[in-house]
Amino acid sequence: MNSSISAATFAAATSATSAPVFDAIGLEKKFDDGRVQALRGVNFRVMQGEFLAITGPSGSGKTTLLQMLGALDRPTAGTLLYRGKSIPDLPDQSNYRAREIGFIFQSFHLLPTFTALENVQIPMFETELSLSQRKDRAITLLRSVGLEHRLGHFPAKLSGGERQRVAIARSLANGPSVLLADEPTGNLDSENARLILELLVRLHDEQNMTLLLVTHDMSIAGRASRTVEMKDGRVVSDQRNNAKGSTK
Amino acid sequence: MTFFTIVVRGLIRRPVRTGLTLLGVSIGIAAVVALVGISRGLSKSWEVGLKARGTDVVVSNMGRSLTPQPFSASARDRIAHLPHVAATCAILVDLMSVENVQMMLVSAREWNGFSWNNLRLVAGRMPRDPLEPAVVLGRTAADLLRKKVGDKIQIETAELSVVGIVDGSAWVENGSVILALPILQEITDNRDKINVIDIRVTPSTSAGEVEQLCAQINKLVPEGRAIAASENISNSQAYRIVQAMSWGTSLLAVVVGVLGVMNTMLMTVFERTHEICILLALGWKRWRIVRMVLWESALLGLFGGVAGVLIGAVGVSVLGRTPAIRGLLEPDLSVNLLTVSVAIAVAVGVISGLYPAWRSSRLAPSRALRA
Repeated sequence: MNSSISAATFAAATSATSAPVFDAIGLEKKFDDGRVQALRGVNFRVMQGEFLAITGPSGSGKTTLLQMLGALDRPTAGTLLYRGKSIPDLPDQSNYRAREIGFIFQSFHLLPTFTALENVQIPMFETELSLSQRKDRAITLLRSVGLEHRLGHFPAKLSGGERQRVAIARSLANGPSVLLADEPTGNLDSENARLILELLVRLHDEQNMTLLLVTHDMSIAGRASRTVEMKDGRVVSDQRNNAKGSTK
Repeated sequence: MTFFTIVVRGLIRRPVRTGLTLLGVSIGIAAVVALVGISRGLSKSWEVGLKARGTDVVVSNMGRSLTPQPFSASARDRIAHLPHVAATCAILVDLMSVENVQMMLVSAREWNGFSWNNLRLVAGRMPRDPLEPAVVLGRTAADLLRKKVGDKIQIETAELSVVGIVDGSAWVENGSVILALPILQEITDNRDKINVIDIRVTPSTSAGEVEQLCAQINKLVPEGRAIAASENISNSQAYRIVQAMSWGTSLLAVVVGVLGVMNTMLMTVFERTHEICILLALGWKRWRIVRMVLWESALLGLFGGVAGVLIGAVGVSVLGRTPAIRGLLEPDLSVNLLTVSVAIAVAVGVISGLYPAWRSSRLAPSRALRA
């Protein structure tokens, strides 16, 4: 499927039994007073519990799309819904980012002056958890990613793979229903990339989380249940993958 | 980890810069403490000195100088009979260079006047008569001049005997050279001139009656001005100039402090733009970012203020022991001044942090995904 996907076609293609998490209809994003158009009428639906890989060359609009979904930026035109509510019109976008979304960045983006345990607690400041509850939850999360022996280590003392695992634990801090991962294995060697991918797949499987993962790596995209390919700000391909990772 | 852990980590991530900013703020606050403390000390020392002499009303002409202008000694006779006046004492007081001390208070008092009564002999004796070429030294003055009973002391062209060392229960009194009125009038060529009349009112006199008495005196003695002892120094134009200069210089130091903290906080926000965007991306509210920046700058002010108060207090204490100031005034380092100084420092911090905080609140969380 190389042409742009229309909203109607897309809705039909994704009419699964679960509820839609995201709906994008005619989504556009322009930068620099319209001189640069990053998204050009993206139609898109993501269902609860899907593992979706977004692929495409640099400049195709993948990261911009992720920004819109995470309420980090506003679309110039079109509709973008989260569970039926317009994301740009949410009354408290920071609350949406804090509670509904978990972000995983390519460069980890851990705060250098805080330990692994402290980094994981940072998103929890926007919740009602007490000091001890925050700490206990952070320890549990770090244990779940196999870093219980690295709690007091600063990011500089952790390997790339360990940093990304801390970042994953941080993304889970407030129990989000959606994980948005921007090239999460892009800065890792193949072994660590494999471990991180396994971890993400396990989280997706165990917690029925919706996982949207931007990647250049087709082998990683093949692990997703669905692959969306973008080019020049448009969705040019949207395919369901089989269980073993090959595309249908 | 609490919110304040995050605030403090923000400060200690650049220890040298934070340290230099603290130094800047603390120097500014030390200047406030020192200058205002000294100027207030000047007022307080005069007030305590007058109280120690048992003076309720002072008649003097506090012009532009720190010592009053001389006027005719006959003024005393014009007011001695007024109602509520229990006693008067004519005084000629001057700030003079005495031997190796650059500035010392020389206080010549009417013989048998009540202003002698508070002086308690520590050593030697009092002058025997108003014409004896002798002085008594306050304890601090004796110490500064390195004089003891029996020594000679040079005041202008006259050589006088030190016949006693006294304790006057106040810094000003203890830092003074005290002698009989005619002796100083002769030395300074101020025959029949005085520049202060100390008045003690009768015990039952109310504040209103003291006010009325002052009004009466002002009519009878137009060359001087009568005011309640507690207000005396603040009536001096010179004192007001000193006070204005103290606050002016302090304000300048505070403005420098504001610019220092603002520069540091702006640098912090610029440097941590990406970090702040990550916090926003992780769901932190903008108000929490603003609070983080403001708390950092307020803490810079608080720590700088506390350090400044300590530096200022030690500095003033050292300055108060120097021969130039010792005995003249007691720096007023009241809890009130120290508290106000720290409060100014915190205000400096908060005000300095407003613009950087506003800048940080304008950052777009989408920048977190870059780099």
